[in-house]
Order: sequence, then structure tokens, then C-alpha cells
Amino acid sequence: MELMISVALGILTTCGVFLILRARTFSVVLGLTLLSHAVNLFLFSMGRLTTGAPAIVGLTPDSADPLPQALVLTAIVISFAMTAFVVVLSLKAAVELRSDHVDGENPNEDRP
Amino acid sequence: MTHLMILPVVIPMLAAAWLLLNHRASIGRQRVWSILSTSLLVALGVWAVTAAQADYHTYWLGNWQPPFGIVLVLDRLSAMMLLLAALLALFCVLYASRGSDREGSHFHALFQFQLMGINGAFLTGDLFNLFVFFEILLLASYALLLHGGGRARSRAGLHYVIINLLGSALFLLALGILYGLTGTLNMADLAVRIAAANPDDQTLLKGAALLLMVVFGIKAAILPLLFWLPRAYSAASAPVAALFAIMTKVGFYAMVRVLLIVFGLDSAQPLNADVFLWLWPLALVTLGLGAIGILGAASLRTMAAYMVILSSGLLMASFAMAEATVLAASLFYLLHSTCLAAVFFLLADLIGRQRAEGYDLLSVTAPLTNRWLLGTLFLVAAASMAGLPPFSGFISKAWLLQNAVSHPKYLWLWGITLVAGLFMIAALSRAGSGWFWKPEPYTGRQRRRLDPARVATVSVLIGISAALALFAAPVMDYMSATAGQLYQPSAYVEAVLGESAMANGGHNP
Amino acid sequence: MVATLAPLAGLLLLARHWPQLAADDPLIATVQWIPQLGLDLSFRLDGLSWLFATLITGIGCLIILYARYYFEGKASAPRFFILIQLFMTAMLGIVLSENLLFMLVFWEMTSLVSFLLIGFNWSNRGARRGARLSLVITGGGGLALLAGILLLGNMAGSFQLTEILAQSDTLTNHRLYPLMLSLVLLGAFTKSAQAPFHLWLPHAMAAPTPVSAYLHSATMVKAGLFLMARLHPALGDTELWFALITVTGMITLMVGAFVAMFMHDIKGLLAYSTISHLGLITLLIGMGSEMAMAAALFHLVCHALFKAPLFMMAGYVDQATGSRDMQLINGLWRWMPALMLVTIVPAAAMAGLPLMSGYLSKKMLFSESLLVTAPHWANVVIPVWVTVAGLFSVAYSVRIFHNVFFNGKPRDLPIWPPKKKPAMALMPLLVLAGLSLLVGLMPQAIYDHLVHYAVMATTASHLPLYDFSALADAHTPAMMSLLAMLAGLAVYAARKPLFAIHARLPDVDAKDIFETVMQRTIRFSQTLVYQLENGSLQRYLALILLTTVALVAWSLTGLEQWRGPVPLSDLDPLVVFGISILCLSAVGVVLFHRYRLPALLLLSVTGLFVTLIFAWFSAPDLALTQLSVEVMAVVIMMLALSFLPQTSPRESRLPRVLRDLFVAVAAGSGVAAFTYAVLTRPSNSISDFFLTNSVPGGGGSNVVNVILVDFRGFDTLGEITVLGIAAVAVFAFTRNLNLKHRVAESGHSHWVAEPHPVFLQVVAHMALPIALLVSAYIFLRGHNMPGGGFIAGLVTAVALTLQYMAGGLAWAHERMRTQFRSLIGAGLLMALLTGMASWVFGYPFLTSTFAHLDWPLIGEFELASALMFDLGVYTTVVGATLLILANLGKLMTIAGPGKEIG
Repeated sequence: MELMISVALGILTTCGVFLILRARTFSVVLGLTLLSHAVNLFLFSMGRLTTGAPAIVGLTPDSADPLPQALVLTAIVISFAMTAFVVVLSLKAAVELRSDHVDGENPNEDRP
Repeated sequence: MTHLMILPVVIPMLAAAWLLLNHRASIGRQRVWSILSTSLLVALGVWAVTAAQADYHTYWLGNWQPPFGIVLVLDRLSAMMLLLAALLALFCVLYASRGSDREGSHFHALFQFQLMGINGAFLTGDLFNLFVFFEILLLASYALLLHGGGRARSRAGLHYVIINLLGSALFLLALGILYGLTGTLNMADLAVRIAAANPDDQTLLKGAALLLMVVFGIKAAILPLLFWLPRAYSAASAPVAALFAIMTKVGFYAMVRVLLIVFGLDSAQPLNADVFLWLWPLALVTLGLGAIGILGAASLRTMAAYMVILSSGLLMASFAMAEATVLAASLFYLLHSTCLAAVFFLLADLIGRQRAEGYDLLSVTAPLTNRWLLGTLFLVAAASMAGLPPFSGFISKAWLLQNAVSHPKYLWLWGITLVAGLFMIAALSRAGSGWFWKPEPYTGRQRRRLDPARVATVSVLIGISAALALFAAPVMDYMSATAGQLYQPSAYVEAVLGESAMANGGHNP
Repeated sequence: MVATLAPLAGLLLLARHWPQLAADDPLIATVQWIPQLGLDLSFRLDGLSWLFATLITGIGCLIILYARYYFEGKASAPRFFILIQLFMTAMLGIVLSENLLFMLVFWEMTSLVSFLLIGFNWSNRGARRGARLSLVITGGGGLALLAGILLLGNMAGSFQLTEILAQSDTLTNHRLYPLMLSLVLLGAFTKSAQAPFHLWLPHAMAAPTPVSAYLHSATMVKAGLFLMARLHPALGDTELWFALITVTGMITLMVGAFVAMFMHDIKGLLAYSTISHLGLITLLIGMGSEMAMAAALFHLVCHALFKAPLFMMAGYVDQATGSRDMQLINGLWRWMPALMLVTIVPAAAMAGLPLMSGYLSKKMLFSESLLVTAPHWANVVIPVWVTVAGLFSVAYSVRIFHNVFFNGKPRDLPIWPPKKKPAMALMPLLVLAGLSLLVGLMPQAIYDHLVHYAVMATTASHLPLYDFSALADAHTPAMMSLLAMLAGLAVYAARKPLFAIHARLPDVDAKDIFETVMQRTIRFSQTLVYQLENGSLQRYLALILLTTVALVAWSLTGLEQWRGPVPLSDLDPLVVFGISILCLSAVGVVLFHRYRLPALLLLSVTGLFVTLIFAWFSAPDLALTQLSVEVMAVVIMMLALSFLPQTSPRESRLPRVLRDLFVAVAAGSGVAAFTYAVLTRPSNSISDFFLTNSVPGGGGSNVVNVILVDFRGFDTLGEITVLGIAAVAVFAFTRNLNLKHRVAESGHSHWVAEPHPVFLQVVAHMALPIALLVSAYIFLRGHNMPGGGFIAGLVTAVALTLQYMAGGLAWAHERMRTQFRSLIGAGLLMALLTGMASWVFGYPFLTSTFAHLDWPLIGEFELASALMFDLGVYTTVVGATLLILANLGKLMTIAGPGKEIG
């Protein structure tokens, strides 16, 4: 199981990183989202993987590690805020820079 | 446990939330709230510096004892950073209140959020909480960078945001590794557990340390992670760029804190040694690049951005020497370089507004008004930046070089620093002579009035740099004690976790 | 006039201290400034500093007097007087400092003031360039000196001269002595215009003449000599000292004397002559014997006394005729007889004619040159060398006098006839010429009473007085003098052909070289910086990722075992299936990333399976959150996609793709490796504390929720702040976004603005109350069961969004009058005030309290203060999400920026 999760996280990261390195803002946003999935799952798995034992007192005798879950929840919210921000920003950039390339139509036009 | 400790986070947040709630308030009202809040922060900064001289102060949020709850820790370093940030912010908000805050929406609310993030990052003793505050300050900085709009800002902003999102992902990865292997997030507790980890785990933890170095290195501007910086800083509006002068220092702060406390407890074989091994050459090259960039800059803003890079390089290089005396000197240099970088961003705007054309471009020769006043301000700032006496630049550089002598590799630092100084003299004299000597007297019909309030803001900020030189002795004492404190991580651990923590090998529930 | 008071007062003060010079101990006064740095305000008055200070103040008085006439009727006069006083202060500081670092403060100050004074006539291009050249050279030297002095202080353990001078042996035997000496000398040489750093001095002549006379001849350029003389007792008498200083001095002496001969500009000639004399003094200091030092200081005084009046003469002529070109200025004796008479003395002294001060000092030099024996080449080379240089100095001295006042008639002078100046203007020249004469006539007295104490200070020994009568009897030096004089006259007589030859040599201007070098360096820097920082985000990201991968890989090389001791758990087929789909959809996103809509759909599949993984591995809260976030994120991205091109062009070449693939695979393997390594190691977490204390301490059985609102409520406060900032930021930067210039490739219809299917509207309207009810339920039970403010907020936001999308823009605009920004502010305030409320009870920020309540339908739940906090979270989330959506939606309207929403 651990090996499988590791490989899956590796694949998610690889896909995310590869997309981040693309030239169009939309691909980069896709990449960032994949990467944040990978990172969130990574952080989550750092509390070790437990099945059928949610961290609710009195529900099951055993319990999963609640702390990483709380951290990941925070991280999810933050990455949601960031994604929303970057999506709108890339729209704005696409309009103002006349292209949805991450560097705009001409990266040096504003260079003094 | 005094509640004053949390006010540096609460006050700006309160101000920001209040400003949002009353977002229809006139800009005048907004300014009043914003300036009021920032002034309070300055007062708090003064309190913090006084209080920190006695001992560590801790604050248990929610009254949960560390390492279980989040703890704030006020030590000498965080106190001085709080004061510095607050002072700088006060000048920036005063300058912005002369009109740049009207160029977009919600400047003051965002500005206060920014301060909240910065102050929280300085105070927190919890690594995940540090991540949260980093996100706050970053998101606020994205927004402030875009303040005023325009193509250059959009482009620089997009790059800045995406790079920092990658940085955040790396931060979380490092946090995950640390938590996975130690099961805790509190910095003091982490320190104890890392020092006690078995060698194989330590190798993995070293990987986390290097990840964190990259994360903080992106913020602190270290080669090869810094290329986003020149455009972002030169695109930002003047008061925002001036505030950003502290942002690279937040990265530096985090690096100092994490490397010295979290990874520095095991005095026999500290994990941070391997990080310093890499930091040292990278920082020296950064320093060199800063100097070259200053010489090659096309506008004063870009030049100021490279000054930020140069000072980052010098800070990191001296930090990588891993000695308390050198660190003391670099902290003093930090004060100086932050103030001066801010001065240059503001000066670029101040001068640019008085020039007939070209704003702050160095290639344009344009008549300007108030040649005398602006020229004098520029001269003093430039002399201080280039390290000419008797200003703070000279004092800080001399102290840094002097303290570095005990390190075996000091000649590298000396050589590059001094050559960088020469580059700076050449570049600044060229800029000054092209701006204040070359042009014809201003004859333009349109009257460009020099705003006395803006001038006063910049002058006082320059005055602070001069005062730093004049009253260097007490400040240096403070810095020496600060560096000494940072090289005593066990004292930090005991202050946070209690006396027995060291013996027990961390806090076991 | 007032300006002269300060130096006069200084002079008087110095005179008062004169009697104390005979005593051994220097006067020292110290005020602490920065003890950590070893930098103190510490002054020292001994023979050497007394001599220099007297020169500085004395000549300063006369220069100011002279400047009064020079600047008559000019608006720039006040600036001059301020700067010159500043300079005088700095210069006095250099010579009177006991602390070397303190001296350095003044040292750099003179460079800076000199820069301002050279650029005094700033509209002149030459002046600006000359000023920058001098600043770069002397400032650079100052940096070297800083390094040298820091090293010196480190070796000696102090920057106080008294202590340094007492440690000659320690210093000269130190491992780093060569480096330190070279750095200090670099500082001294640049300041004192020693070859090859002399280049700045001729260009400093663009300064007003009083400045040239004072700074660039009499005082500032002597600072380097002063420093060498000052440190001689501590650092001198080594082979390195001799080699470095003597050779530099010799080269400078010759270059200066030779070039001076060919200068047509009076001030240029004087500048090179100054360089040559500085070289001469340097040479003498380098020899290092006591008598050589005596000769050096004696000549230094003589030079100051004769060079200053010559400069004044040059300025006088310049102002009178409007030119300084000696090819034009000829035969002025008819018009300026008084000036001519006054000039005779200094010119003769410079040439070294008998009875003049220059004659004596030159003879001293010749006789000292004969005494050098140490390196065997020196006893032949040096005498011959100085004689040849003496020859040139005679030639140029004759030239300046003869050319200006005789040599036919003036030609084409800009101002004709010459302007008269009041007779008083000649006063300073007269005084200096008189003093110069006096030195020549009674050298013994002058030496004994003024110079001797200085020599004592520089050699740190009691030595006999210099015997001038013995000098008069020395034959070989006299012969050398005579030889130099005759040959010099011969050279002057043959000047016409020599000039012709010289004119054919390529014209080299140091300023131009400097400018070229500067331009090249700047262009190089620019190119380098442009290439590095080329505005390509892809490159920046690749660099960051590569650095990360490389550093981490390096750090993990030492790892002995990847796999830890914990046994692997069994595979569950369901998990295998889920994870496979997750991976496949992620790969699908990559494969289809150029076709955006499919890619987005695949991405939402990925998100869905992430949710399922959370649910499977006992994290219901996470699953709920991920699900609702996923919905919102996909909605936002869909909206954005409607506005962007639907496909990406194929842009990346194969090498680029391979590079990126390499980086990506490396990063992916890193994450996989870390996951595997950590998961197979035992965990030792602080979480048990939370499980134990959740109910008794936090009042809730859903530990994750209690952590969020209580144990780590501070994180949550930060988290909703982030959300709030994001929303406000989106509002702020889309407010004035002008959509008239749409992306060219877009051309896609904006489906949001189109009419909407009726059935969607109906469903949406019906769904709203249910959704609100559900979110209230989730909210309230959150503390004990999965749920909570955040998820409830998102559910509410989703429901409202659905309304928004179903009803169309106009409909939504009508109904969405809510002030979302106020909502965010209120939410944040609510959370914050809940936290602050605990202060009232004397507890830290965010301390919770709770009470149990039994509500019908929902069941028993705790009314915790955390509930208020969670309500703040809920409010902020609703406000922030809707603000983002509303503003994104606003962008979709064809009409462009409408009125503010939210």
C-alpha cells in the first residue's frame, strides 16, 4: 500500500511539475492544481494511512492521526484561495499582455 | 505571558477587517485608520525590543501548552524585526497616503493584511503557523504588487505569484517530511527531536532542511532562485516596493530561525552545516550578481531592486559563515540595508515626479525641479548605500568585514564586498551626475510642485540611517546579544518547552 | 572674509601647541563612539600632524582669500565656501586622527567633497567625467584602504595609532603583512595620484582654480603621503616597503615630469608637475632612512609653498584672458608685470634654482639617492633616474614662466585686453612666494623648528638635526643639480621639434578611456543581467526546480536505507483501482493539456479521486472540504476557460520537453522516495494529546474540527484571512480591467451571458433553501461530526453560485446587492473578536469555553465559544467565495466593466 501511494504521489508530482513548466497560463494552473493535490496527499499521508478510523472520539477504538488532517484542510483552503487568485490574474494578464503565454506577447516590452 | 505579544498580529488584522467592513469610508478615513494602526505597531515594536532584552517571552494561543498548541515566541531577533517592519511600514504608509493609495482599491486594507502576515511570521514558534503567515503575507504582497494596475505589474505579478505558489508547495513538502519523521510542528520540539533522531532519519531531515532553504531562498532572493525579483520590485508602486524591502528580510529571518534553532540544536554535528555549505557559494555569487545588476540597471528602481539582491547576498554569505559575531554584524547590516533600499525606491519616485520626462530612467537626461534638495538627498543616500563614511553603510560594512576575519574563508567575502562597493560607487556617481549635473535648469511651463510631505518622509528615513551610525554602539550591543541568543538554541527550547524538555528528549504526550 | 576665520582660529590653536612638540608624547584626546568596532573619536597631535595641520589651515586661509576674488560676482560662491570648509574639516580630521578607522571616515569624506568640487562647474561635460573618474579611483582606493586598515587593526588588536606604532615587529612579521601593506598602499597611491592611478588628477583640473591649488596640489593629494609617513614606523623598513613604494615613486616621478613638459594647458602642466613631485616624495619615503624622510617632509613643505602660488597664477591668467593654453598666452609681462614678479620665486623654486627652497630639497634628494645601497641596482639606477627627472622638471618650470610672460606676443585670446583684478588679489600669492623664498634663505631654522618634529614622529627615533651646511658642501649632488639644470634648459630650447614629435603621438585621454571602460562594463553587465533575467517564467521555474532537485539529491546520497522498519500494509483492490484512476487521470491531464476543456474535466476527475482517497483513509472532513472546494475551483476555471483560447498551440520543442520531463520525473521520484521512506518509518506524533483532550478541553468529539477551531485556531484565523485577501485582491485588480481588448484567439461565445434553460432555473431556485438548510446542519454539527464552518460556507456559496449561473447575469445582478466585502470584514472581525473575548477572562487569545445544549432535531451539541469563531469562518468563506465569483462573472459581461459588484 505504502509503495503504491508513493508511486501515485510521484506520478501526480511529475504531471504537476511538467505542466507548470508549460508556456500557457492555463496549463500552469492545471499543473499547480495537480501539484497541490500531490502535496496535500503527501502531507496527509505523513500521518500514516489508516482505514475506517475517523478521528472522532468514541466512534472507533482506533483513530487516524487528526493533526495532518487539520493541516491539510488548512492547506486545501489556502490553495483554493491561491488557485482562484491565480486564475483571475491569468485572465487579467491574458488581456493586458495580449496573449495567454506566461510571459505575454513580448516579455521585454516593459523593460526600461 | 502578556497579551501585548499578540497585538502585532491582532492590530493590523483588526484594522484591515474594519476597513473592509466599512469599505465605503472615504480615503481620508481609511488613511487615518491605517496610519493609526501602523503607529501603534511602532509603539509595540519599541515595547518588544525593550521586553526582549530581559528574556524570552512566550504566548500560548488558546491556552494550549506547547508543543500541542501554537506558541508565539518573542526573542531579541523577532523583537527587532517587528520594530524594523513597523517603522518601515509607517514611512511607506505615510508616503502612500500622499496619493499612491488612490491608484487602486483597498490599498490600506491590503497593507494591513501584509503587516499582519509579516508580524505573524516574526512571532510564531510553530512551523506550520509560519507557513500560514507566509501565505498571508504573500497573498497580500501579490495584491499590493498589482496595486495601481498596468501591464508591467500584471506580468511581474503573474511570475511572482506562480513562483511563490511553487515555493509554497515545496514548503508543505518539507513540513510533511518533518512531521512524518518527528510527529511535531513546534520549532523547539522539532529541534529536540531532530537532534535525537537516528542518523538515517537525519539524512532525510537534511533533505527537508535543504528544501526549506530553497523555500526561504526564493523569498530572500538567492541565486538561482531570484530572477523574479528585479521586475517585480521595479514594477511595484513606490511605497509598496519600499515595503517589499523587508520581504526579502522575512525570508532571511525564517532561514536564520529555522537553521539555527530547528536544525542547530545538536552542537556536535548540527544539520545546518550542510546547508551552510551550499548557502555560502550561492550567496557570494548572489552578491556579485547584485553588484553587476546595479551597474547594468537602466532605471533607479531596477538599481534599487539589485541593491536588495546585493544586500541579500551579503546577509546570506555572512550568515553562512556560521559564527555569532558575524551574525551580529549582519543583523546590523540588515537594519541599514532595509532602510536604504526603501529610501531608494521612494527616492526613485520622488525624483521621477520632478523630472520633465523619463521618470527614473537613467538613460534620459531631463531637467528637474528642486535640483538642490533632491540632489542632496540622493547624495547622502548614495554615499550611505555605497558604504562611504560616516553613514550607516560604512559602519555596518566595516563591522561585518571586521568580524568576518576570524573565519577561514573571509577573504572571499572581503574581496567581493569591496569590489561590489566600487561598482556601486561607479553606478551611483554616474546616475547622480546624469540626473543632477547634466540637465539644463528646469524651464518647463508646467509647474511641478515638490510634495513637502513626501520629501519629509524620505528625509526622515534617511535620517534614521544616519542615526543608526551615530548611535551604533547600543544597537551593536543589542545585535551581539541577539546573535548570541540565536546561537544558544537550547535556551530557546527551554523557554518554550520548559526546563526539563532537553533532558526528556522532547515533549512526549 | 568670515570664511577665513575658521582656519585662522585653527592656525592660532596650532601655534599655541607648538611648544609642546618638543616633548616626546603626542597629545591625545579620545571620546568613545563605537567601541565594538574599535572606532573612537580620537585625536592625536604630534610633530607630523602639527606640520600638516599648519599647512592645511595656513594655505587654507590664503586660498579662501584668493577665492574671494576668484569668485567675485558669481552666484556659486556660497557653495564653494561651504564645500571648502567641509573639506578643510575632513583634511584636518585625516591628519589629526589617532584612530585609523576614524581617519578613514575623513579620508572618504575628502574623496566625496573632492568629487563635488571637481564637478563644481557641472554644466561642463569634462568636469562631470573628471569628477566621476576621480571618485571611482579614490573611492576604490578608499575601499582597499578600508580592507587594509581592518587587517592592520586585526593584527595589532587596535586601531589606535599609539598601539599600532608600538608593534612594528609583530606587524611586519605577520603572515598577512604583504596583503595588508599592498591594500594600505593602494589607498595611499590612489589618493596621492601615483602611477598608474595618477590619471584622475589631470582631469580634476576641471575644478575651479582655488580647488586645484588647495585640494589637488597642496593638501588632499598629500594625504596618501601623510599616511605612508604616518605608518612608516610601524610598517616601514622592509624590503617590500622599499620595493613597492620606491619603484612606484620613481615611475610616477618620471611620468609626471615627462608629460608635464608637453602640456599646453597651464593647469595641465601644473597637474603633471604635481604628480611628478608627489612621486618624488613617495620615492623618498620609500627609501625609508631618517634623512630621506627628512628630505621628503622638507620637500613636501617646499612643494606646497611653491605650487599653490603657481596655481593661483594660472587661475589669475585664466580669468584675465579667458584661456589657459600656453600656445596662445604669451608675453603677458607687459600687461601683468606684478604677477610676473611674484611668479619668479615659485617658478624658480620649482625648477630648483640655487638659493631657492626647491634647490635645497632637490639636492637633498640627490644626496639621499646616492646613499641607497640596499638592492644593488638601486645605487646606480636611482641617482641617474632622479637626475633625468630633474632635467624635465627644469624644462617645464622654465616653460611655464617663459611661455606665459615672454615668448613673443599673445595670440587670439578670448578676452582682450586682459581684465584687471584688484591689487589685493595678488596678496595670497605674495605671501606664499615670500614664505617660499624664506625657506630657501634660511632652511636650517625652518627645518629645525617646523619639520624636524614631524620627522621625529615618522621615524619614531631621536635623530640629529639635518645639517644644511653639510649639504652645501656636498659636491656630487651639486654636480647632479647643475647637470639637470643645463640639460633642462637645452631641452626647453629644443622644444619646438619635441612638441612636433609629441603631437604625432596618439592622443590618449584618460577620461575617454574611463568612459569607454565604464560603457563597456555597463554594457557587459546589462547583457549579462538581461540574459540571466530574461523575463521567461519557464526558465525561472526550471532553475528553481533543478536547484531543489539537485540539493535534495545531494543531501540524500548519504542515506543508507530507504525502507524503514515498519512492515508494509496490504493492498486493497478498491484502493488499487482508485489510485490507478487517479494516476491515469493525472497523466491524462498532461496528455490533453493542449485541449483545455477535456483537460479540465480530467482534472476534476483527479480531484474527485483525491476526495475518495481522503474518505477511504478516515478523513471525512477532508473529503467534504475537498469536494466542495473542487466544485468551486472547477466552476471558476470553467468561467475562466470560457474566456481563454480553447486550445494551446504546440510550442515546446523536443529538447525542451525532454528537459522538462527530466525535471518533472526527478521531482516526482523525490516525492515518491520521501513518501516511501517516511511511511515505512515509525511515527511518534503529538496527536494523542488531541485525541485525549478534544472532548474535555475542546468540547467536541470531532477532533479535526476541534483542532481547527481550538487547538490550532490561530491557523484557521490565518487561513480565512488568506481567503479574504484573495477575494479582496481579485476585486481590486479586476475593478478597472478593460475587456475591450480581448485575447485575439478567443472569439468564443460567452455562454454565461446567454439565456438559460428554464429547468435549470427551477432546479436552482428549489435547491437554494435546501442547500441553506443543509449547510446550517453541517455547520452546527461540525464540532462533533464531520462538518464545520468552512464546509458549510462552501455549500452555501455553491448553492448561491448555482442561482447565479442559472438565473443569468442580469438576474443575479438584481439580487446580489449584498456587500460581500463587508461580509468578509464582518466574518474576520467575528472570529477575531471571539478570540479577543478570552482576554476579558484573563486567558490568552482564542482560549475557548463551552456549554452543552440540547436542541430539538439536531440533537445535543455544545455551544462553544468556538462556535462563534466558526460562524466567523462561515461568513468569511461565503463572502470571499461569492466576491470572487461575482467579479469573475462581471468580466464575462460583454459590456465590459460594469458597476462595482460586492
